[in-house]
Amino acid sequence: MARLSVNGRQREVEAAPDMPLLWVLRDLLDLKGARYGCGIGQCGACTVLVDGGAVRSCITPVETVAGREVTTIEGLGGDHPLQKAWIAAQVPQCGYCQAGQILQAAALLAETPKPTDAEIDAAMAGNLCRCGTYLRIRAAIRAAAGSAA
Amino acid sequence: MSPALTRRGFVAASGSLLVALAARPASAAPGAGAAPLTAFLEVATDGRVKLWSPTTEMGQGTHTAHALLVAGELGVPLSAVAVETARPAAPFRRNGQMSSGGSWGVRAWEGPLRTAAAQARAMLLAEAAARHGLDPAALDIAEGEVRDGARVLGGIGAYAAGAAARPVPAEPALRARHPLAGTAVPRVDIPAKVRGEPVFCSDLSLPGLVHAWARLGPVTGGAPARIDDRATRAVPGVIDVVRLPTGAAVVATGNWAAIRGAEALALDFPEGPDARLDSAAISAGMTAALGRAEAAPAPRADGDFAAAEAAAARVIEAEYEVPYLAHAPMEPWNCIVRFDADGGLEVWAPTQAQDRLMGAITAASGLPAEKVRLHTTQLGGGFGRRLRDMEGMRDAILVARAVNRPVHFHWPREEELGQGWFRPAQKARLKAALGSSGQLLGLAIRTAGPSMVMDFAAPATPIREGGLDGTSVQSLADTRYRFGAYRLDYAMARFPVPTAPWRAVGATQNGYFLECFLDEVAMAAGIDPLALRRTLLAHDARALRVLDTVAEAAGWGTPLPAGRARGIAYVESYGSLCAEVVEASLADGRPRVHRVTVALDCGRVISRDGARAQVEGGVVQGLSAALGEAVEIRGGAVANRNFDGYRLLRMPDAPARIDVQFIESGETIGGVGEPPLPPAAPALVNALFALTGRPIRRLPILAA
Ligand code: FES
Ligand code: FES
Repeated sequence: MARLSVNGRQREVEAAPDMPLLWVLRDLLDLKGARYGCGIGQCGACTVLVDGGAVRSCITPVETVAGREVTTIEGLGGDHPLQKAWIAAQVPQCGYCQAGQILQAAALLAETPKPTDAEIDAAMAGNLCRCGTYLRIRAAIRAAAGSAA
Repeated sequence: MSPALTRRGFVAASGSLLVALAARPASAAPGAGAAPLTAFLEVATDGRVKLWSPTTEMGQGTHTAHALLVAGELGVPLSAVAVETARPAAPFRRNGQMSSGGSWGVRAWEGPLRTAAAQARAMLLAEAAARHGLDPAALDIAEGEVRDGARVLGGIGAYAAGAAARPVPAEPALRARHPLAGTAVPRVDIPAKVRGEPVFCSDLSLPGLVHAWARLGPVTGGAPARIDDRATRAVPGVIDVVRLPTGAAVVATGNWAAIRGAEALALDFPEGPDARLDSAAISAGMTAALGRAEAAPAPRADGDFAAAEAAAARVIEAEYEVPYLAHAPMEPWNCIVRFDADGGLEVWAPTQAQDRLMGAITAASGLPAEKVRLHTTQLGGGFGRRLRDMEGMRDAILVARAVNRPVHFHWPREEELGQGWFRPAQKARLKAALGSSGQLLGLAIRTAGPSMVMDFAAPATPIREGGLDGTSVQSLADTRYRFGAYRLDYAMARFPVPTAPWRAVGATQNGYFLECFLDEVAMAAGIDPLALRRTLLAHDARALRVLDTVAEAAGWGTPLPAGRARGIAYVESYGSLCAEVVEASLADGRPRVHRVTVALDCGRVISRDGARAQVEGGVVQGLSAALGEAVEIRGGAVANRNFDGYRLLRMPDAPARIDVQFIESGETIGGVGEPPLPPAAPALVNALFALTGRPIRRLPILAA
């Protein structure tokens, strides 16, 4: 049994302590926005926020987030400034990586509200996009940060 | 099929699935009462339009382009159109196959979709005219309403049922001007993707679904000699271990148990003849094929290259090589299989090739096609990989049969990268004969490598062993360049590593070989690389315009900051002409791409921002392959089976800027998804060559 807070709701799940948060979210809580891409922390498709910081949920045992606040893409509500910026910039192609990209960007802006281009690149380097949407991701982050060129 | 097991029953049974099967569930999901007007279009009583697209949406934006074509021709707002991939049937086939590849999504379907929308409009207007006693020729549809001049007669939904009973006109009149074609419209699938909604096959759920994760053998194939599943069966949640032709699948109540169980499996594969195959042996095999004494089939021989060589003041020669590449879509292969109580079979799959997949389904299940319902989900990337999932589909059916439950079958990333169907490795030896003033007298290319078509189309391959695979000489055999004498030879060199179409196919390797060698020629002759290409294309106004457009937009020849250089490349593929200029520098030996300028003549543009996104994505994927991608074969298997070893381009290596110039020449509409990819790698390599004077004759640029 594991207790955690997800998108502001207290949840109790029947999960072994070492079960990765990714599968707790997807299989036990029916939150499918965090996605499996590699399972080893290399792609970022599974990125969620834990107490506001970006983590790779595929390698995060659920026991380590007990008592902490987990935010998934579903928890952003749809009208989050980053989600609006993502739509305005028409960022996604296939979209598989994009929930992870948006949450990674949210963690960046929480820490660095006006990031430089180099800071954006550094913060986003762990999130792969095979469709190659990187330029639009950068533009959407700049726009959401109010620093659009 | 019992009502409870139809798709609607399935949707009702699983709330989370509701949004998964329609591109725009919130704004448009025609329900009961939707009237089918043509095979492509249904109109609901509330006026919403359902479009059954013949293509798979995998990020390339064809569902939006199709919605745009239909909305404009029919006369409804784009937001009224919901798009879903059709189930395989005759109206959705091209050359007998329902399939999304070859950059055909817009260019092949523009006509049929506009016609379908014009048919629907004519039927709706005929119904409205009859009902109101008016002349149908005086009516039109705008903003989803039937109008008689400025007077609104009613929404189209009011006429849908009656229209559906009317004959479908064979040759309906198209609008003189399509009001949306060529404009930038927002993608219909983006809002759901930004909200993280369950749009992918991997997100779907079904009552009673169990999960199966595969553990498979080496890429060279073969059945496991021994499977020890004792540790697997001890994992809580594991239900069963199912033996597969090339490995096993672990079935569990949840994904995590299945993954742990699959990792705990001990699989031994026999030491077959391929157990020592590695990348070096493959490279040596291609070299041997290049040097084969007997003449390879020559797809092209203009003039007499031997004479040009004999007359040359100077001959330059170079050998180029590229490795196997993985498609690496972010969503690994997965599918859902459910055998229904009435003997039917329902499959949900992220496929690019519905009919090919149906072949695998019917072969593995023994069921006739009429008993199979195939639902195509949106794809977390395709790039050609999802054109061929025969083995993955077969294995899913074997598992579902074995456990007698609905199964969600998954490949881990390691199998997605490790099971092959790669862009072929290839080698080329290029030779140029230069005259005394440096002019090109002739060019010879001899190339050797695996035959994608032999692998991909097996067993019904249209060519014979050792014959000519056109994709291996793609963009070489049909180049517009005139080199003086031109001799192109090819030798097939096959290895037990299966190959498949990879975005832009043979144009990717051949564009690199030819375009980089041309810069070696230009350097040797002391000619500017743009000037050389302009000379070789002097006879072709369309190609010259592409070169001149990219050169002007990129500021070719204008001064750059110290340590920067430009490279140019031109490659034609899929009916479009594309030239790119890359502006690059080196920082601690690592290439940095500052700017990419693209000129693409695709005849006409339909969905402007979607086309731009495809150009951007193609450039990034091309640079990714150039910089870091290579499948390493070791011991008959893929050695780099996850993203720690298979290096996709990451954001810090992405260009700071990509500028796109569309040239709407009005020529036959060409592809957009693939043509922007091939020039990217050679343009980058040529920029680095200009910077350092050292050619890069082997990709990727960054050694492992
Ligand atoms: S799935 Fe977690 S980083 Fe790739
Ligand atoms: S949008 Fe397809 S992987 Fe990023």
